[in-house]
Amino acid sequence: MFTTLVRKELRAVILSPKFAATFAVLSVLLLLSVYIGIQEYREGVKQYETATNLSDQRILEQTSWHNLYDKGYRSVDPMQVFVSGLGYDVGRWSEVSADNSVKLRNSAYSDDPVFAVFRFVDFAFIVQVVFALFAILFTYDAVNGEREQGTLRMVFANAVPRTQYLVAKCVGTWLGLVVPVCIPILLSLLLVMMFKIPLTGADWSKVVLLVGISILYISLFIVMGVFISSLTRRSSSSFLLSLVVWVVLVLIIPRASVMAAGQVVHVPQRAEIEGQRDGYAQDRWTQFYADMEKRLLDNARIDEDQATIGDDEFDEEAMWARMKEEDAARKLVQTEIEEYEARLLEDWRHRKETQQKLGLSLSRFSPASAYQLAAMTLAGTDISMKPRYESALNQYRNEFNSYVEENQSESGQVGGVMIQIGCEEGVKVGTSRENDGLDLSGRPTFTPPAQPLSEVVQPVVTDVGLLAFGIMFSFVGAFVSFRRNDLR
Amino acid sequence: MLRVIIDKEMREMIGSTKFALTFAVCAILIVLSFYIGAANYKVSVDHYQAAKAENLQQLEGVTDWLMVRQNRIFLPPQPLAALVTGVSNDIGRTTEVEARGELASHDSRFNEEPIFAVFRFLDLSFIFTVVLSLFAILLGYDAISGEKERGTLKLALANAVPRSTLIMGKLLGSFAALSVSLLVALGIGCLLLPLMGVPMAAADWWRLGLIILTGMLYFGVFLTISMFISTTTQRTSSSFLLLLVVWIVGVLIIPRASVLLAGRAVDVPSVDEVGAKKASYASQLWKDFRHGMASFKGPETQDVEQMMNVFNKYMDSLTAIRDEKMNLYTAQLNEERYNRQKVQQAVAFNLARLSPVASLTLATEELSGTSLGLKNRYYDQAMAYQKIYAAFLKEKTGMNVGGRMMVFKVKMDGEEEEEEPIDPNELPAFVYEPPSVPDSLQAATGDMGLLGLLNILFFAASFVAFRRYDAR
Repeated sequence: MFTTLVRKELRAVILSPKFAATFAVLSVLLLLSVYIGIQEYREGVKQYETATNLSDQRILEQTSWHNLYDKGYRSVDPMQVFVSGLGYDVGRWSEVSADNSVKLRNSAYSDDPVFAVFRFVDFAFIVQVVFALFAILFTYDAVNGEREQGTLRMVFANAVPRTQYLVAKCVGTWLGLVVPVCIPILLSLLLVMMFKIPLTGADWSKVVLLVGISILYISLFIVMGVFISSLTRRSSSSFLLSLVVWVVLVLIIPRASVMAAGQVVHVPQRAEIEGQRDGYAQDRWTQFYADMEKRLLDNARIDEDQATIGDDEFDEEAMWARMKEEDAARKLVQTEIEEYEARLLEDWRHRKETQQKLGLSLSRFSPASAYQLAAMTLAGTDISMKPRYESALNQYRNEFNSYVEENQSESGQVGGVMIQIGCEEGVKVGTSRENDGLDLSGRPTFTPPAQPLSEVVQPVVTDVGLLAFGIMFSFVGAFVSFRRNDLR
Repeated sequence: MLRVIIDKEMREMIGSTKFALTFAVCAILIVLSFYIGAANYKVSVDHYQAAKAENLQQLEGVTDWLMVRQNRIFLPPQPLAALVTGVSNDIGRTTEVEARGELASHDSRFNEEPIFAVFRFLDLSFIFTVVLSLFAILLGYDAISGEKERGTLKLALANAVPRSTLIMGKLLGSFAALSVSLLVALGIGCLLLPLMGVPMAAADWWRLGLIILTGMLYFGVFLTISMFISTTTQRTSSSFLLLLVVWIVGVLIIPRASVLLAGRAVDVPSVDEVGAKKASYASQLWKDFRHGMASFKGPETQDVEQMMNVFNKYMDSLTAIRDEKMNLYTAQLNEERYNRQKVQQAVAFNLARLSPVASLTLATEELSGTSLGLKNRYYDQAMAYQKIYAAFLKEKTGMNVGGRMMVFKVKMDGEEEEEEPIDPNELPAFVYEPPSVPDSLQAATGDMGLLGLLNILFFAASFVAFRRYDAR
C-alpha cells in the first residue's frame, strides 16, 4: 500500500505542468550559477597569480633592508565555485612589515563596487532561495488540496494509517523533486571537471557534503510544506501562509537577527582602535625624540671633549655607529607600541566574536541561515576566514620580520638618509649605506592557511543537526495536526 | 461606470483575507526596515564620532606640527544610506591623509564587520525589490483569469461595459487600494525617522519622497505585468507559475548575471597591476630624489636659520617636481582604469535594465547618494581636502613633510623654552558634501522614466490582450 501511495504521489508531481516549468528553471539556474562560479574562480586565480608575481618582483627590486615589506595575499579556494560566501567582501591582501600590523584590505567589492550593486549568484544561493520556493510550491496543497478535490476521503476509504499516508506524501514529493534535480547537479559537477578546476580529494568530499546538506535543506522545506498544508483547511490559505513563512525564514530572519546583534553588542570601528594606538605611539615617539635629543647633545659634548671634530673619517664612523644604536632604540619603541596595539585588538576581536556569536545563533532560528552558514563553512568562505588568514599572516609577519632583522644586522645596513644642518658644518646630506640589491635567498614566503577536512566538518555538524531537528519537528507537527484533521 | 468598477475592485481587494495577510507582512517589514535603518544610522554615527574624536585625541600633548604625520578622515554616515545602503557598506570609509601621496580609502564596513555581509542588509530597497514585487504578483495574478474561473467575468461583461473601461477600472482600483495601504505603512516608517532622532533635512525629505515614488512606480510595473500575464492565461494556476518564473528571473537572476557578464566582457586592469606600476615608478622617483638631495650645496653662511631656509626651499622644489611627476602618472593610470570601469558599468547596467529591479536599484541609489558615484565623490573630496591639509601643515611647519621623512631639530645651546602643545582643533575639518537633490534627480530620471514607461507598456499590452480575451 505504501509503495502505491508513493508511486501515486510521484506521478502527481512529475506529471503536473508546474514540474516542467520549475525543473527547467532550476536546471538552467544551477548550471548557470556553477558556470559563473567557474569563470569567477578562474578570474580570481588569475588575479591572485598576477598580484603575487608583481609582489615578488617588487620585493626583489628593493635595495634596502630598512622598511622592507612584503604583501600576503588571500588565495582563492576552488570551493568558491559553489559558495562565494564572504570571498568578495573581505580584503584580499595585507601588508607584512615591522611598521604596520596585519590588516586585510582592498576587498574585491571595494575595488570594483560595480559587482557589489546586485551581489552574487551562486549554487548555494539558488538552493537557498529558489529551490526552497519550489519545494513549497509543490507541497502547499499536499493534504488540503486533496481534500478540496475530494480524493482525501477516497484514500482513507482504504485501510491506510494516517502516518503511512503522510510519510508517503513526503517521500513521494521528495523523490519527485530531489531526484530529478540531481541531474543538473551532476551536470554541473561535470562542468567543474571539464574546466579542470583543481578540486582535491578533500574538496570532493566537501562537495558531496554540500550536496547532502542542500538535499537536507530542501527536505526540510518539503516536510514543512506538508505540515502547513495539514494545518490549514484551504489550499489558498496554506499557499499564502507558506509563502509568508518562506519570506520570513529565507529573507527576513537571517538579516534581522544579525542587525539585532549589531544593536545589542557595540563594536567600535577599527579606525577608533587605530586612533588609540596612534595616540599612544605619538606619546612614545615624543618621549623617544626627547631622549634622542639628549643623547645627541651628550654625544656632541663627548666629541667636543675628545676634540675629534674635523676628523671626518672618525666622525662618519662614529655617526653610523650611533645611528645603529638609535635604530635599536627605535625598534624597542616600536615593539612596545605593537604590544599595546595587540592588547587593544584582542579586546576588539573579543567583542566582535561576541557580536558574531549572538548574531549567528539568533539567525539559526531560520533553516535558511543554518544552511547558508554550513555551506560557507564548507567552502572556507565563512566568517572565520578573516581571523584564519589574519593569524596565518601574523605568523608569517613574525618570520619575515626576524628574517629581515637578521639580514639587516648581518649586512650592517642602517636605513634612511641623514641630513645634518649645523652652524659649523653647513648642510650635509649623506647617501645612505645601501647596496644595489639585496640577497633575498632563504626568504620566507607566505602560504595561505589550509583547513583540514575535520576542522571544516566539525562546525557543520551543528547546522546539520538543526536542519534534521527542523525536519523532525515539522514532521511531528504535520502528524499531530493531521491526526485531528477533519477529512471531509 | 469606471467609478463603479474601481469602487468594486477596491472593496474586493481590501476585503480579501489574502490582502489582509500579505499587507500585514508587508507593512510590518516596511516599518521594520525603517526602524532598523534608523537604529543602524545611530550606531554608525556613534562609531563615526568616536573615530573622529580619537583622531583628534591622538594629537593631544604634541608640541610640534612636525610630529603630526597622519590625519584620518572618514566618510560620514548619511541618513538615507540606512534605508538604501547601496554600495556604502562596500567601499572604504577611512582615508589616511598625508600632506602628499595618493589617497586610498579602506575599512569598508563589510570587510571590517563581515557578519553584516553574511546575509546582507535588511533595508528599504531590499523590501522594495523583493517583497513589494512579490506582493504585487500575489494580488494581481488572478485579476482576470481568477474572475473568469469564478464566472464573474461573464457577468461583468454582460453589462454595457466596454472592455477597456473594465480593465482600466481593475487596474486603477487595485493600484489605488494597494498603494494607499502601502503609503500608510511607508508614512508610519517615515514618521519613525524623526522620532528616533535621525536628522532629516528638507533635502532628505525630498529624496525620501522621490525614493518612495520610485518604489511605487516599480510596484506598478509588477502590478501591470501581473495583469498582463493574467490576461494572457486562462487559468490562475498557470498565471501564477508564469509570474513566479518571471519574478525569479527578473528579481534574482538578470541583475546579478548581467553584472557578472559585463565583468567578463570588459577587461579592467586590476588594482594590483595599477598599484605595482605606481610603486615601481615611485621607487624610481625616490632614487632621483635622493640623488638630488645629495647634490645640495649649502650657502656660504654661518647662520643656521638662513641655512635651514635655503635647504627647505631646495627640498621644496625637489619635492614639488617629484610630486608633480607622481601625480601626473597616477592620474593617468587612474583615469585609464576609471574609463574602463565606466565602460564596464555601462554594459553591466544597461544589460541589467532588462529587469525593472535594476532601474529601481539604480534610481534609489542615486537618490540616496549611495550609488557607485559615492566612491569617486568621496575620493575627489578627499583629494581636495589633502590640498587644504598640505597647505595647513606648510603654514604651520614651513615645510612640506610627508612620506617617511623624519625631521627634528636639535637645540645645541640648550635653550630651554617650554613649548606650547598644539591645538588639534586647528586641523582643518573634512566635510563630505553629498550631491545636490537636482543632481541626484537628474541621475535617477532615466531609470524612473524607464519604470514609468514599463508601466504604460505593460498596461497597453494587457489592454490589447484583454480585448481578445475569451471570457467564457
